[in-house]
Amino acid sequence: MLNAMLSSPLFGLTLSAAAWCAGRQLQKKLGLLPPLLTASALIIALLVLFRIPYERYAAGGDFIKLMLGPVTAVLALNIYNQRAVLKKHFLPVLAGCLVGSLTSVGSILLLCRLFHVDDALAASLLPKSVTTAIAIGIAESRGGVGGIAAAAVMAAGLTGAVFAPLFARLFHVTDPVAEGLAIGACSHALGTTRAMEIGQVQGAMSSIAICVCGILTSILVLFL
Amino acid sequence: MNIMGELTIIFGLCLVSEGISALIPVAFPASVIALLLLSLLLFAKVLKPEHIRRFSAFLVANMAFFFLPSCVEVIKHAPAILGQLVPFLLISFLTVPLVYCVTAWVVQLLIRRMGKGGEPHA
Repeated sequence: MLNAMLSSPLFGLTLSAAAWCAGRQLQKKLGLLPPLLTASALIIALLVLFRIPYERYAAGGDFIKLMLGPVTAVLALNIYNQRAVLKKHFLPVLAGCLVGSLTSVGSILLLCRLFHVDDALAASLLPKSVTTAIAIGIAESRGGVGGIAAAAVMAAGLTGAVFAPLFARLFHVTDPVAEGLAIGACSHALGTTRAMEIGQVQGAMSSIAICVCGILTSILVLFL
Repeated sequence: MNIMGELTIIFGLCLVSEGISALIPVAFPASVIALLLLSLLLFAKVLKPEHIRRFSAFLVANMAFFFLPSCVEVIKHAPAILGQLVPFLLISFLTVPLVYCVTAWVVQLLIRRMGKGGEPHA
């Protein structure tokens, strides 16, 4: 019976949903920890502890992964809803996102060369500043590994979400438009959740940066 | 628009994007093509936000959940990451403040130059 349950794609689906609920509860109690981090850790711990092969989880997990395309597509609605802000600050938004994407890709390439990182890892790290759905697409299209890209994206997102207010003080960033765009450019959707707490303008600009930097980075890596 | 209509629009757009991604000679993620296509349709007023409102709201509200399997997939690649853990961590964390600083300063400078800065926060 247990074997039949583990073989079903419903195992991965149920485990994901349950771990997510547990992660949400933990976040309510402990604050800062994003459910994505705790839920992933919970699932990994369970698979390792009970020696369940990853493929059993993936049978259901792949159904959820399939939704990454639609999730990215509907970000278009964010851009559309913020069209007034976008129109008002069009040039700074475009220039900021372009420079941010260039800095991200350039610094990662430089550090990869410096540390003699192999090609697959470099391709996985390259899109780490953009949102996961786009990052996985970029990494895999360049011979990288989606899972490693997701881990790097998470690391970048967490850093931005936790330290964004500190960065603003440290780098003397006082303009809310600049602050929001910078958060979105360096730490995508996870950072945006924090930007929304800081202020409405910061949240809106951060959402725009997720989309614009995602598109720009996808184009930039084509030239590498 | 009923929810099945919304599903048809979003899934259909993503399906067409997969086709376009396979057709173009460069490696460009289908998800970004779908994002661009949907933006285009919204700005051209072919689609109205109401046409995709409920399904989009569901996806955006639960956005992080859909990334869960990709994060769990890390265990499949644990040896590769652990083998290069120091560069992985250094590159993942160090570049964040750098990108923040450069982006914020470029935007702040441009807004000040153009004389249409937002209200600074306290």
